[in-house]
Amino acid sequence: MSGLGVAAPAQARGLADKIIHVIEWLAATFVGIVAADIFISVLLRKFFNTSIPDSYDLGRNLLGILIFWGIAATSYRGGHITVDLLWTAAGPRMKRFIDVFATLVLLFVVTVQTIMLFDKVSLTYRDNVLSYDLNLPIWPMFAVAWAGDVCAVILIAVRTWRLMFNPELLQDEHVDSRAES
Amino acid sequence: MDFSTDFIAVAGFVVLFILMLLRVPVGMAMGLVGVVGYSLIAGTGPALKLVGQTSMRTVTDYTFGVIPMFMLMGAFVSVSGVSKELFRAANACVGHLRGGLGMATVMACGGFAAICGSSVATAATFSTVAYPEMRRYGYPQSFSTGVIAAGGTLGAMLPPSTVLAVYAVITQQDIGKLFMAGVLPGLLAMTMYVLTIGAIVLVKPKMLPAGNPRPWSERLVALKDVWPSLVLFAFVIGGLYGGLFTPTEAGGMGAGGAFLLGLLRRKLDRAGIRHALLQATRTAAAVFTVLIGALLFGYFLTITQTPQKLTAWVTGMGLNRYTVLALIMVMYLLLGCLMDAMAMIILTVPIIFPVITQLGFDPIWFGVIIVMTVELGLIHPPVGMNVFVIKSVVQEVSFTTIFKGVIPFVITDILRLIILIAFPIIALWLPGRMA
Repeated sequence: MSGLGVAAPAQARGLADKIIHVIEWLAATFVGIVAADIFISVLLRKFFNTSIPDSYDLGRNLLGILIFWGIAATSYRGGHITVDLLWTAAGPRMKRFIDVFATLVLLFVVTVQTIMLFDKVSLTYRDNVLSYDLNLPIWPMFAVAWAGDVCAVILIAVRTWRLMFNPELLQDEHVDSRAES
Repeated sequence: MDFSTDFIAVAGFVVLFILMLLRVPVGMAMGLVGVVGYSLIAGTGPALKLVGQTSMRTVTDYTFGVIPMFMLMGAFVSVSGVSKELFRAANACVGHLRGGLGMATVMACGGFAAICGSSVATAATFSTVAYPEMRRYGYPQSFSTGVIAAGGTLGAMLPPSTVLAVYAVITQQDIGKLFMAGVLPGLLAMTMYVLTIGAIVLVKPKMLPAGNPRPWSERLVALKDVWPSLVLFAFVIGGLYGGLFTPTEAGGMGAGGAFLLGLLRRKLDRAGIRHALLQATRTAAAVFTVLIGALLFGYFLTITQTPQKLTAWVTGMGLNRYTVLALIMVMYLLLGCLMDAMAMIILTVPIIFPVITQLGFDPIWFGVIIVMTVELGLIHPPVGMNVFVIKSVVQEVSFTTIFKGVIPFVITDILRLIILIAFPIIALWLPGRMA
């Protein structure tokens, strides 16, 4: 598939790629933190009969953060679970049309989700929902998760732009089909 | 009102399939149709409220943490090079037999799938690990690719299986029990694949030549490489079985253990750790997107009463319950031509499940049966996801050749399904003894 000839300036492309890279790394870091939280919590409980305060609340809210930031990374890389039957059989122009259409729908849905999630974050703030052990406010964690969804909107917009004008800049990888390197 | 609700339900399904065919991510398509359909019946305000609430509630549900944790465990083990070690060990033990390399591939696929939890990833990995070796010893292309495609399907059955975990979430069943329910059917699948290879050798002895016999010292060295991964697997699944951990904790312990093992064995470097973290994050995000979409679509199903109406219709037909089960399985096989296992399970189980429970089938047993059926869809003609993945790695082989090689294993799978339907105890024995 070739672009439509509207090439983004190299500097802008470089900046966009750096931002995408940082977002992917933040998402990956969160999954590591969740695993460490669970691993250490179980060891402390089994061997020292103690626990990390708020480990449960921390774990589940970090899970939310990692998923929303992960959705940002996955959406940009085209890694969502899709039905590829028609796409596989289509010619290059049709493939391009399908890709742009699917990404526009994705952009619409994630934008609506982001707006509605903001409502949820502000509601949590207004209700002053607190964590179980340390009575810490939950809303900052929700806000970080929401920020991941905002990043998803930005990255999907970048993806849409690139699909239309610079498709060679995208390196898609379908979920689940990666061979061990 | 009734007519319009039914009309909205049918229109919703039509739009959903069109969106999915146009490659809109399955979760997003389900969420969009679910919310729009719900808003047509209950109003836009309540429908939009569902989006924020459902999304946040799903991603912050501690129980669902089992999915990314086991994915991370699989990713750490994968980047540590376990697939090659497993294949080398299995090959050292049985490679000297006729068809031994095929048997080694099935065993290594089973071992790898048990840790990685993904059928397609197992097929992709062994296309690079086992295929060249089988070709080097003169195995036909059709058999070599067929055995990898079939071996890949073991990923969904042996714990920790992502598809079984998702089924558990949707149907609100115990994830630990479902994992345990997959153990014996998974082992049965491995055994039956090995026996199938044995039968092929009996019919065509020259087709699958024997490899070089390995001295016992070499076999022991090869086994030495795989024992840490096997111990980790036994520790995690044993802990789950014995009630030592919850499923999410078992996943976290597995991920932490795989990380430490990789570091201690010097198999994980910075690049490997980064690769594993990214891979687990992306795959988990993709699965959670579908889960959120499925839950939003579930509200639409509830408000249109689709599952209840379908259940009443099916039970009102007066068919034998095994006839209904057979029809459902045929439907899954046909759907297997259109979409992958995860999408199929998430889309159809909320509708089918009430019918199954109404007919008196055990929900845990049905989970195993349905996952086995959708996995069969990954390899049967005309479209099998595993076959496509193998073709993308081994480009010189035609689809026809791969499907030809898969046929004996498809027959074995159908036979295995019949055995599991006739003897549900195979799936239910282990979960019934859990602590």
